[in-house]
Amino acid sequence: MKLNINKSRSLWWIISAVIILAGIISMVISWQQPDIRAPLRPGLDFVGGTRLQFVRDCNKPGNCDQAIDINAVRDVAKEQGLGDSSIQVISENGGENGVLIRTKNLDVEQRTKLQNALSEKIGVFDPQKNQIDSVGPTLGRELFRSGVIALIVSFIGITIYMSFRFQLDYAVFAIVALFHDILITVGVFSILGLVLGIEVDSLFIVALLTITGFSVNDTVVIYDRIRETIKINPQRPIAEIVDDAVNQTLARSINTTLTVLLTLLAIFLFGGETLRNFSLALIVGFTMGAYSSIFIASTLLVWWRERSGQSYAVDSAESIDTPASSQDS
Amino acid sequence: MQRQRSLLALILVLVIAAITVIATIPIPLGLDLRGGSQLTIQVKPSAEIPRITERELEGVRKVVEGRINGLGVSEPVIQTVGTDKILVQLPGVNDPEQAERILGGTAQLEFRTQKPSTEPQLYAFQSSRAGLKAKQEELRKSNDKAAIAKNQEELQKNNQAIAELFESTKPPLDGKYLKDAAGEPTQGNNWNVAIRFDQKGGELFAELTKNLAGTGRSIGIFLDNGLISAPTVGPEFAATGITGGSAVITGRFTAQEANDLGVQLRGGALPVPVEIAERRTVGATLGRDSIQSSIYAGVGGLTLVLIFMVFYYRLPGLIADVALVIYSLLTWATFALLGVTLTLPGIAGFILSIGMAVDANVLIFERTREELQAGKSLYRSVESGFYRAFSSILDSNVTTWIACAALFWLGSGLVKGFALTLALGVAVSMFTAITCSRTLMFLAIAIPSLRKPELFCPNLPTSNKAEVTQ
Repeated sequence: MKLNINKSRSLWWIISAVIILAGIISMVISWQQPDIRAPLRPGLDFVGGTRLQFVRDCNKPGNCDQAIDINAVRDVAKEQGLGDSSIQVISENGGENGVLIRTKNLDVEQRTKLQNALSEKIGVFDPQKNQIDSVGPTLGRELFRSGVIALIVSFIGITIYMSFRFQLDYAVFAIVALFHDILITVGVFSILGLVLGIEVDSLFIVALLTITGFSVNDTVVIYDRIRETIKINPQRPIAEIVDDAVNQTLARSINTTLTVLLTLLAIFLFGGETLRNFSLALIVGFTMGAYSSIFIASTLLVWWRERSGQSYAVDSAESIDTPASSQDS
Repeated sequence: MQRQRSLLALILVLVIAAITVIATIPIPLGLDLRGGSQLTIQVKPSAEIPRITERELEGVRKVVEGRINGLGVSEPVIQTVGTDKILVQLPGVNDPEQAERILGGTAQLEFRTQKPSTEPQLYAFQSSRAGLKAKQEELRKSNDKAAIAKNQEELQKNNQAIAELFESTKPPLDGKYLKDAAGEPTQGNNWNVAIRFDQKGGELFAELTKNLAGTGRSIGIFLDNGLISAPTVGPEFAATGITGGSAVITGRFTAQEANDLGVQLRGGALPVPVEIAERRTVGATLGRDSIQSSIYAGVGGLTLVLIFMVFYYRLPGLIADVALVIYSLLTWATFALLGVTLTLPGIAGFILSIGMAVDANVLIFERTREELQAGKSLYRSVESGFYRAFSSILDSNVTTWIACAALFWLGSGLVKGFALTLALGVAVSMFTAITCSRTLMFLAIAIPSLRKPELFCPNLPTSNKAEVTQ
């Protein structure tokens, strides 16, 4: 099997463009939703507020006999002036025994009042299973800002490193591929936010940065192969060289992505609530990372070199360095 | 061969050392795993202090520390974060509401006068307090929660009793009148603490000291209702009191003590409001559930990868698996040695790094296969597999490190943990994927019955096979 990626490159570009466009449209729609007002549905970490998770103590006799009535919870919230909170009943201890409430920022007194009122209505809670998060809005903004700065800094760092190890145009297209992966991941989560109400938290930014590392990782391996092939065969057209390089590294790309996806799948399935969206973001981003390295970064490089009249790679041979492990033999 | 042997010995030693480390040094668990409360306290500027400097932040931190010690939590973590925040971690706290209430307010510093003829009582209480405090230190080390709480209660009672020996002046001379306080050296090795009041405070202080001068009764300096210092006033001030708004608290302070007292006074005097910007509380069992599911995820992920490698790469895959297990041991031991606190994202970083650690071996083995298919001998193929994959491995790992560095540098607590575990994992994987698998691979090739190319690459063209097995 041999992949002819450069022959049908406009197809790959169109596929990517369509996915990216869908994401952007979703972000625009999401921005206009009165309850979101942002390209992605922001979680507690970014907008501030209080999230309470209570689970009933089922060791107490009779405490868990009836399922939690979500309307009773709503009534209690309304009585306390928290009518616009989002309320969810969650499964715990083998039944619908937990309740998750997201609301505006509550202070200790308000919170205790709510907790006591709820406890009276629906049963005694197990304090060992409580989870209470409160984040002020200023902190969230800071978190978001530092995350975006971290992304930009790593982009710049990677560009510098790659133009040093390869050439500037390699670096630029690696970053384009990277942007592609990040944009698609963000787009997918924007759609998920609209459709399933999935929120993004600070771990989402961590996921984006990890995708950054992985995506370039993948691109570097193919570039490395291109550089090597050019060195051996400087007279061949760049399109052929790149096609060959991609095909030679294809098994590796698939296998590595597969093993990483296997571990991510394990985290997604068994890793618990907190890590579920995190691993999902990585699954999307890493899959896209593999795709873009093969179909976007490489084809763009060919397109650029052909356009700028460097379709025969002779003059770039000087940038080849020998691997540093040459002392081993 | 000699080199192979010594490398093998090194790997063995490392593995044994790693197992010893893992068995002896437990990895501390983050609050999200062990349960507890984490509060971020934001110090806000006010009209009087428009900018928060390190000095103010340190003062507030001292106050917070004092309040937390009053709670009797074992192993609290209190640190300043950035330029205006204080992070407080209270593991295993059952009553986070109480902690929040106590931490949320501004510290109350007050100068009070001792009631007449209470000197012997004060002396007795102070010496029993010293005893209780020393005992508390000891109990903290033993981590006996019940005893700590009991001792704490006695300290509380003692504090209360001492407070009753003093009375407020009218109007009370509190922290808002204090301009500054700092330790200053005197002759010899002694240190004093100089304090300075504003004009109104100076007048009140003169009044207070005039009443106490020469009586032997003390000024009670209280922070959050606890006595932090009880200096007396000499008889020479009986006529006018200490005027001018400045005073020096003498006593045989060490530099450390004088500084601490200065910071405490300043902290109590700070008119800066504090606000709890973030609080996260995780119930203890909830954390335990998370650990359990993370372990399932780790073991599950690792097993899947191990099976895949043997299935696809045969003998090299098996060797890579051994290297991967060594990788997991070494990384875990490194975490333990460096005192990395394990958080949920940290575990995710570790599991992820297992998946990525395979990449180096995959690169090498793909190369080896290519060389075999190109008709090279087994030894040569393995050798150039390692040699030629190196630059790819290095480049791709450096880019991951760059992303980790950015995360570590700019991220907050949880994010930092993830970046660190991922970066360490990548570093260790460079060693295990290259050195370990290389050594094991050459050892395997040295065994004649394993020297079969089909163990390295299935479906090799027959012509090549014949050539290689010669």
